[in-house]
Amino acid sequence: MTKFTLNGKSVDVDNPPDELLLLVIRDQIGLKGTKYGCGAAMCGACTVHVDGEAMFSCQLSVGDIEGAEITTIEGLSDDGTHPLQKAWVAEQVPQCGYCQSGQIMRAAALLSENPSPSREEIVDHMSANLCRCGTYNRIFKAVERAAREV
Amino acid sequence: MTGQAEKTLSRRGFLKGATGLTFLLGTGGLAAVRADADTAAVLDVNPWLKIQADGQISIVFPSTEMGQSSYSTLPQILAEELDADWDDVVIEQLNADDRTFGNPSFGGILYTAGSTGVEGYFDPMRKAGAQARDVLLQIAARELGVDKGTLVTEPSAVVAQDGTRLSYGELARMGTEGIVIPDADTLTLKSFEDFRIIGHDIPRRDVFDKSTGRAVYAIDVTLTDMVFACVQRAPVEGESAVAVDDADARAIPGVVDVVVLPDGVAVVAETYWTALMARGTLDITWSQNSPHRAYHSQHTLALYASQAETPPEAPAVWAEKGDAPRAISDADQSVSQSYLSDYAYHAQIEPMAAVAHVDADGKGAQVWAGTQTQSWTTQTVMEVLETTKDRVRLNMMTMGGGFGRRTAFVQDYVRDALLCSKAVGRPVKVIWTREDDVKNGVFRPMAVQRMAGGLSSDGKLTGFHHRVATPTVIGFFNLSRWNTVRPNDVISMRGAESKFYDIPDFLADHVITERQARLSPYRGIGAAYTGFAAEAFMDELADAAGRDPLDFRLDLVQDNPRGRHLLEKVAEMSDWRNRGDRAMGLAFAGYHSSMAAGVVEIALDRDSGEISLTNMWIAADAGLIVSPDNAHNQIEGGAVFGISCALTERIDIEAGEVLQSNFWDYEVTRANQVPPIEVYMAKVDAHPTGVGELGLPFVPPAIANAFYAATGRRLRHMPFTPDRVLDVLNG
Ligand code: FES
Ligand code: FES
Repeated sequence: MTKFTLNGKSVDVDNPPDELLLLVIRDQIGLKGTKYGCGAAMCGACTVHVDGEAMFSCQLSVGDIEGAEITTIEGLSDDGTHPLQKAWVAEQVPQCGYCQSGQIMRAAALLSENPSPSREEIVDHMSANLCRCGTYNRIFKAVERAAREV
Repeated sequence: MTGQAEKTLSRRGFLKGATGLTFLLGTGGLAAVRADADTAAVLDVNPWLKIQADGQISIVFPSTEMGQSSYSTLPQILAEELDADWDDVVIEQLNADDRTFGNPSFGGILYTAGSTGVEGYFDPMRKAGAQARDVLLQIAARELGVDKGTLVTEPSAVVAQDGTRLSYGELARMGTEGIVIPDADTLTLKSFEDFRIIGHDIPRRDVFDKSTGRAVYAIDVTLTDMVFACVQRAPVEGESAVAVDDADARAIPGVVDVVVLPDGVAVVAETYWTALMARGTLDITWSQNSPHRAYHSQHTLALYASQAETPPEAPAVWAEKGDAPRAISDADQSVSQSYLSDYAYHAQIEPMAAVAHVDADGKGAQVWAGTQTQSWTTQTVMEVLETTKDRVRLNMMTMGGGFGRRTAFVQDYVRDALLCSKAVGRPVKVIWTREDDVKNGVFRPMAVQRMAGGLSSDGKLTGFHHRVATPTVIGFFNLSRWNTVRPNDVISMRGAESKFYDIPDFLADHVITERQARLSPYRGIGAAYTGFAAEAFMDELADAAGRDPLDFRLDLVQDNPRGRHLLEKVAEMSDWRNRGDRAMGLAFAGYHSSMAAGVVEIALDRDSGEISLTNMWIAADAGLIVSPDNAHNQIEGGAVFGISCALTERIDIEAGEVLQSNFWDYEVTRANQVPPIEVYMAKVDAHPTGVGELGLPFVPPAIANAFYAATGRRLRHMPFTPDRVLDVLNG
């Protein structure tokens, strides 16, 4: 049994403690917004917040997060009104969209730590996540827009 | 569907309790119109659009969505001519191989590739909308007792001269008695300046869901009783499992079955984690006799190079004008060079995944998959289950990237899911790991391109010969198609035609080499490497002629005013004429009929050999642009893909095995490698020609040309990895 908080609610799961948090979130709990892209800390599609910090959920075993507070894209806002989500829509960022939950979660961690990042800080921070569709410049603009609005 | 244009409808067509209108419009024209009733008759074609009594308009989306946004743009084309209020439109994914909606650019196959969606469907979907609008006008004229010519439409309503408004929903309720279905070809379509939707920035329909984690991809599909499969595939193409010791795997709680596939072994389990763990315990003896074990990519490239030099048989002519070899040998000055490129992998971020639920009799299935073709996914199911089309139920899922990866005639990930589901009698989700996807990738082929050009004494290009030594891609991924088109392989050769230039004597030919890896279309198809050779070599010619690369090219676009405009525009955007000693490179390439002129500025770290881009300017012309903001996103995305191709992407094969395995050794461009990109799109009154690949082809040559500006040396082997850059600098 592992107990942790997910999007503000306490959950108990009995998955093997070495099972990837990513798979527990997706298949056990059923929240599919967090994606699998590489399983290797190389793409960031699986990015979630662990106690407020952006982390690769493909690199965490569920047993490691006992007692932690996990936030996924579904927990960022109920209705897509987080400033980053609004900025993502305003800038029409996504193409295939597969990377975007991870991008938004990565960006959200940046803004909560640094509410008005420079372009350079944004670029640097966002380089952990891949976007094969090449939406990077729009991602930068959307993060800047959201930063202006919070 | 053709030849049925004029048809008067009888009362019989309108059942009591009608709730809306269904227009049956094939790409050939409107065939029937009827009112929908609770007891609606089964029809032999599917409708393009339906208008409900409540005003809701559903429009069929005939392609599949992989990020290019056809899901929004194609229905917009129909909605424009229908004069629909876009907010009334719901989009219906076409989930069957219904050739009524076939892509005219692919001979009616349902196939989403090659930036052909808007280009191919533009006319048929406009006509479909216009026909439906005409029917609505007729209904209104009948109801109001006025002449149809006195009526106009506003979004989702017909308006009479006295101001009376009838909404499309109301009209749908009024029935179609006495209505004559017009011949689509006789209707006057809107002129471009009257467009309310096309050319305006209507937000994409999928952006909210893709910004909230709600978009559902094949990998997300969950069914009751579903199990998961993980496949250990043969390490080398052509091998299969000759012995499998699965005792340990079967002993793991949660393992449902171990299924031997033609080229792999699948573990089916209650969770993906269990399947993954159990796969690691399999002890598989693979056959050892595949000829692919003899293949090493370095040798492959050497073979192609020697065959480019001395073709074993006469090359297939791809494009020809005059006598290029003669013009070159007669020229005052001639130049020749070879350009090399490696295998490249698609790296779509959603790995291959599919869900299949095979019927109890094993002769039918429901399938959830993200593929670029309803037709060939259907074909895959038919072949694997040895069944007929009517037993195939598809759910075409939005894709986490395509780029050509999901185009194959037989889709192995779909096949895996079917075979596993058939074996265990439950719905099965197959997910390839990233490593599976890289190791079993289908690649852009290696190529060696032999370029030769002739110059007159006054520095003009007189002859140009572009020879491409590379295998046929079509011959591998769709053999039956190859039998029809051979020896012309557009996937391997696109771009080598240099069609935007007027060159007096020109030849592009294809030395069709042996295939030594699995191949596939890839973003930009041939233009991803032919553009590199053609435009890097163009700079070498300009240099030999002692001319500025811009002036040298401008001479070749005298008869192409749109192309000339792009070159002049990008020169202005980048301040090309005043570049001084900035490391800037220019290239002019394109894709099919879409053109892009681009300039990049680079910075070079001479110690590490690393190239980085500091600026990029693009001037593009893709005809009429349906969704400018999305086109901008696509062109920029294509350019980022181009940076990736140019700088890092490389697959190596040794003894038939792919050496790379994940994003740590197959590097894709990241946020910190992307420069500011300025995109200009020409406004032209011409048929749309597609934007999905357009941003890519100019990028590698522009970078190579910028490198020359910085160093006086040429990069002729793509990708320009730091080790290669250092070799060139020190060579
Ligand atoms: S899936 Fe976790 S970093 Fe790629
Ligand atoms: S939007 Fe497709 S990978 Fe980022």
